[in-house]
Amino acid sequence: MPKVYNWQLGREMEYPYEGTRSKRQFAMVMDLNKCIACQTCTVACKTTWTSGRGQEAMFWNNVESKPYGYYPLGWDVKVLDKLGVQELVGNAPYKGKTIFEGAPDGERVLGYLPDDLDYANPNLGEDDSFGKMEQGVHLTGPHNNWMFYLPRICNHCSYPACLGSCPRQSIYKRAEDGIVLLDQSRCRGYRECVRGCPYKKAFFNMMTRVSEKCIGCYPAIEDGRQTQCTITCIGKIRMQGFINTPDKAREDNPIDYIVHVAKVARPLYPQLGLEPNVYYIPPVHVAPSFLKQMFGNTVEDAMAAYRKVMDDPKLLGALLLFGAAKDIVHSFKVENDMAIGFNETGAELVRVPLREPVHLRPAFDEKYQTHRTNIT
Amino acid sequence: MRHLNTFARLVGMAAFLAAAGPEVQAAPAPALVAPKLAGTEAMIDPGGAYWAKAKPVVVEVLSQMVTTPSAPTPKVQKMTVRAVHNERYVSFLLEWDDSTKSDRLVSDQFGDQVAVELPVSYDKDNPPNPMMGAPDNWVDIMQWRAAFQRDIDAGVPGVRDFYPNAHSDLYPDKVLLPTDARSYMGAMAVESPMPHATRSPVLDHMAGGFGSLTVKPDQLVSGKGVWHNGKWRVVICRPMAPAGNLDPKLVAGGDTLVAFAVWDGGGHEVGARKGWADWVPLQLSK
Repeated sequence: MPKVYNWQLGREMEYPYEGTRSKRQFAMVMDLNKCIACQTCTVACKTTWTSGRGQEAMFWNNVESKPYGYYPLGWDVKVLDKLGVQELVGNAPYKGKTIFEGAPDGERVLGYLPDDLDYANPNLGEDDSFGKMEQGVHLTGPHNNWMFYLPRICNHCSYPACLGSCPRQSIYKRAEDGIVLLDQSRCRGYRECVRGCPYKKAFFNMMTRVSEKCIGCYPAIEDGRQTQCTITCIGKIRMQGFINTPDKAREDNPIDYIVHVAKVARPLYPQLGLEPNVYYIPPVHVAPSFLKQMFGNTVEDAMAAYRKVMDDPKLLGALLLFGAAKDIVHSFKVENDMAIGFNETGAELVRVPLREPVHLRPAFDEKYQTHRTNIT
Repeated sequence: MRHLNTFARLVGMAAFLAAAGPEVQAAPAPALVAPKLAGTEAMIDPGGAYWAKAKPVVVEVLSQMVTTPSAPTPKVQKMTVRAVHNERYVSFLLEWDDSTKSDRLVSDQFGDQVAVELPVSYDKDNPPNPMMGAPDNWVDIMQWRAAFQRDIDAGVPGVRDFYPNAHSDLYPDKVLLPTDARSYMGAMAVESPMPHATRSPVLDHMAGGFGSLTVKPDQLVSGKGVWHNGKWRVVICRPMAPAGNLDPKLVAGGDTLVAFAVWDGGGHEVGARKGWADWVPLQLSK
């Protein structure tokens, strides 16, 4: 197999094809501290793209609970189990195997095909907390008993396993934005992508008898707008834009700043070797021992940086631009306590105050000689 | 991006050369002789009396170990094949044991399939690679699918045929004009031949190497498959006269080659995960 450079692993790795970076790379940052699993993103995606026949149990965007929620059932623990015990991704080059390097003889990647029923219960394990709740427990930090919500879309990986698995080259990565698409004319429904994608974000449609996947809302991206799951998020937990490799990081690109400069967001299961391009701000109430497996050994640094966000106005500004504009924020700056986002041409899209203005009113109104009720 | 394909083709050629050696196929199958029959119609009945006139040839099914993903242990071990022609049509009868009839396609279930391969232009000194041909030496591949046969025999299944309790609030094709609903129909909107059979359970393809298999624009092949008592009997029939320059030219009295592939859907065989049988000489009687 050819060798490609995976910056998330800090080393070269095997991949079925030569690596060619797209001109731009689609990326998304999600703040897991803010997700409440309202599933608005899921519904926005579903109504936009997958309301057709054969797509009934297909969620290009889903939100699952961790540690016990999965869609499809057990997807990540099954992949991790197949890969076996590996070193965690940390500061040094990753010493373990990726799913490409761990592929059995005769296979392109180490994967598995989920059972049909694995897609049948997307809410199984929802809200279940880790650990036993003893009598008299109270909140501590990090919590003894914790769970969190994990929203997931296709990671539009730099080295997609779906693309690497397809023997017909039906899946391609667009040069202009790095979005990974599945050609509906070329696919013959072999389901090698469904086996190969460790995140299980390629699906088989039993009515069209071919596979389908998240298209990164490419018509919106081509129009300078963020994805449906991003702009409909009521918790404003997401930002979608473009990421550069660390050596070409631009401080004025909010996604580069969050991922490369502030280093507050991490890719999901980077050890699998796909260089996924959805980055998660880890939930700070969760046991780091669990998060290390998901986001790498340095996840505590990201949690510490997030806790100190008030000391970094630029990071605060970048985070406050989440959900503030429907257009893609290509660059930003913080000026006079305002975070200002710009589009690709440099035109201002939005400005958000770093601190919401607060108005204090006395409890007793002298004019009307009455006590005010504390309502919002 | 071309690296894998080039590598696979080189390996494919190496395997083809090896396949001609005794260590891969110990006993080459004898020539398949297609007797000339009277008539001008396509012969697609697996129970037709005309098959009694054709001498059966048993072909050994080999593991596909040349390209990835591979299939080290093919689920079907051997097939019995027969051929007949009537100067207008050539027809192949393929029979193999399969304890399960697999014609239901959901995410973890695959369909039984069988394919007949012919060189597009046969040169006995330069036969095409039996593994999907080569860029300068194309092959024609006719593939029968059990799921297509079910479409024709029982109608194209709907969602509730697979999931009786499935519920959807509203399908786009119920409320939108057909042109608008196309956006929600995936492969059907781009007129892929995969979603369901149209007139025939067999699709005619061209191929010039791994990953190049392409459904031909004109579909002139026909066939029929019947599963009974743990056995598939499938007929694949094509016109002998070429309709285009990527169709094989078959004439009474002519010689060519024929190769086969078979997939056991119940054994999760699909695509390159298949059993295949090497070139067998095909003689079309005068």
